[in-house]
Amino acid sequence: MADPYTWRVVRFSFTQASLSALLSILLAIPMASCLFHRRFIGRQTLLSLFAISMVVPTIVAILGIVVVYGRNGWFTTLFGSAFPLYGLGGILLAHVFFNMPLAVRVILQAYQLIPDAQWRLASQLGFSRWHVFRLIEWHYLKKSLPGLFLLIFMLCFSGFAVVLSLGGGPRSSTLEVAIYQALRFEFDLNKASYLSLLQVSICSLVALAVYRLAPPLRQDISVYQGERLAMRSSRLANGVDALVSAVVLLWVLPPFVAILSPALSALFWQSLWQTDLWWSVWHSVRIALPSGLLALLIGLSIAALARTLRWRQRGDWWAQKLEQSGNLVLMVPSLVLATGLFLMFRSVGISIKHAYWIVVWVNAVMALPFVLRAIMPTIYQQEKRFRHLYTQMNVVGMARLRLEWPQIRSAVAQGLAYAVLLSLGDLGVVALFGSKGLETLPMYLYQLIGSYRVEQGACVAVVLILLCLTLFYSINRLVGGRRAVV
Amino acid sequence: MSFKSFALSATALLATSLVSADTLTVYTYDSFASDWGPGPKIKTNFEAQCDCELNFVALDSSVGILSRVQLEGDASEADVLLGLDLNVMEAAKQTGLLAQHSVDTSSVTTPGGWQDDHFVPFDQGYFAFIYDSEKLANVPTSLKDVVENQDLKVIYQDPRTSTPGLGLLLWMKSVYGDQVADAWEKLASHTVTVTKGWYDGYSLFLKGEADVVLSYTTSPAYHIVAEGEHKYKAASASEGFYPQIEVAAMLESAPNKALAEEFMQFILEPGFQNMVATGNWMYPVMDNVDPLPEAFTSQPQPTKVLTLDAEQVAQNRQAWINEWLEATTR
Repeated sequence: MADPYTWRVVRFSFTQASLSALLSILLAIPMASCLFHRRFIGRQTLLSLFAISMVVPTIVAILGIVVVYGRNGWFTTLFGSAFPLYGLGGILLAHVFFNMPLAVRVILQAYQLIPDAQWRLASQLGFSRWHVFRLIEWHYLKKSLPGLFLLIFMLCFSGFAVVLSLGGGPRSSTLEVAIYQALRFEFDLNKASYLSLLQVSICSLVALAVYRLAPPLRQDISVYQGERLAMRSSRLANGVDALVSAVVLLWVLPPFVAILSPALSALFWQSLWQTDLWWSVWHSVRIALPSGLLALLIGLSIAALARTLRWRQRGDWWAQKLEQSGNLVLMVPSLVLATGLFLMFRSVGISIKHAYWIVVWVNAVMALPFVLRAIMPTIYQQEKRFRHLYTQMNVVGMARLRLEWPQIRSAVAQGLAYAVLLSLGDLGVVALFGSKGLETLPMYLYQLIGSYRVEQGACVAVVLILLCLTLFYSINRLVGGRRAVV
Repeated sequence: MSFKSFALSATALLATSLVSADTLTVYTYDSFASDWGPGPKIKTNFEAQCDCELNFVALDSSVGILSRVQLEGDASEADVLLGLDLNVMEAAKQTGLLAQHSVDTSSVTTPGGWQDDHFVPFDQGYFAFIYDSEKLANVPTSLKDVVENQDLKVIYQDPRTSTPGLGLLLWMKSVYGDQVADAWEKLASHTVTVTKGWYDGYSLFLKGEADVVLSYTTSPAYHIVAEGEHKYKAASASEGFYPQIEVAAMLESAPNKALAEEFMQFILEPGFQNMVATGNWMYPVMDNVDPLPEAFTSQPQPTKVLTLDAEQVAQNRQAWINEWLEATTR
């Protein structure tokens, strides 16, 4: 593999993934702070939209971005000249659209861990927003940043439809293109696994570097979260909030408007009458719910194990490794994982008739990093809070869960909702196993677009997004309770 | 495996062995089997004559069919693969999984006739650049025009990940021969983007992102017949068109060989051939069909058909892809 092109691709992927991750996080930090401190009309809707941006099927997001920034797009109409969409600019535009909202939500979760007392103190001392941020908030949210960076980095490093479509030519590419080519066109399993290994190694190196730079993780005991206290707001803080919100909203909202606009067309109401549509909705939900639950179960087990380890002397190291191993799965292309499983199942004589369970399982594993990101901090925190109580009073088993449930349920709901959504949006895994009863909504969408029916596909995308919103909302309400951050 | 799932799979196994006597399983790509594709009608027509059940298993793409069968090996439940194309035939043959057919293909209308003992063609078309006649004034009339007109914004598909992309690679090679690298470099300077699949590129074109997009000569027929839209047209190519021929093959391990053989025969009969034009938006491969809608006959017909030898393609594909990569990333 002395091929210079491969290394050029690696270098390019590295740059675009790092930039995407940095840009997403740099915008997400002030946005999260603004969303935490302020209440305004549409805040809830915005947060829900943020939750689903990452499951918008890539082709739909690309077309949405093109409607806004393309040659005949709104941008061109407004400013008279076209946006340089094809190239690094377009790739960053799309990647930040997918990932910055996710980053905002993850950072907002870190805010939930800041104890009440600190806000009270800050309020009494008359801290400004900047003081609060520097002296309090930063210490909590910086813990979530390395993991978040890695998550976004890996998502951008590996996915390839966006990079190819908006990259402007084969100069912009990712390793996964070569992996896809080796697997699908050449059926060269050795080459595919070699390239996957290369990808895993590079991602691992990045992971090592990031964790090395990361501050050592220390958990704080914090108490029950109560009322939100208003901080002193200066003109500067108002200005920064306004500026950041404007940038973020201009980035995320116009493509969403473009994506959702087919809902107003007559075609949308016609496509609702297609029985195929509802079958695919059913197939999607039938896969997504169990796989979400499975992901949650695995996630909770890892979390429980990791926190028990932390309890031990020198257990921290193991706990950390365990937690990081949850991210590992993102480094492996899902197509490779699915192919491997396919071959493995075949060699032990399990036929493709069980494709349903394989898809559920692979989707669950692929969602694991997101679940861990959602539940880990809260679960650690509870352990820190209750540790002494547990040892003194000999509280074990279910009793612990009952004690902690009110504190962790909103995080658990969040993790479950993410996993369900990811599985709902999945295409790669299910397409490989494609068989009767597995025609999911994204597959239906691609089928339409794949036979000239772009407009109908856009309508199905609206249905997919509405389904995601509904599921996200109801899971958070049902599992997370009334106080859940939706 | 728990007892329950064992019992389940045992029942499933029993169930399939009971019905498999008269079930034909055909692997195809998704849009072929979809409600609006030719699949459902072909199923009805075939079932009327065979007294059996025809099941389509829809996979994500034409290469998806091949890789699925490669994964399954001789344990595959498929009888027939429907939807491979000219350029993966050699690779498919080399898997050793395909059986020979006994279909008489002497009246097949593909350019140069058809002689192949593994594959039976079922539809055909030509790769072409599509443009919007209301917007584009300076219409290209040859592949050279597309390559050399620096003002023409072009979208095509990646030959590493898509069938039309590979088609363009071969088209360019057969027109430019050894000078193809220079041509690619010229094309790269006014290429908007190179997409992963046909649909990405085509939908970007429909949104107005490019003047021309690589697709099929029959694409305008879809817009005319299904949407009543006449503005999309296929640019002619004076050097000749490169063909796309879609083929079917039987598996050596087919659970139901007799039915598979019957289906292979059926492919060239009107019950199948009449469905491909407005179902799959391609030309039939036989003359025994109903007259085609005018939307099809009014499309540019090739003055010359360019083809490269299948073995040569299989041998050189990677080298040509590298040549393309080298030239476009220079």
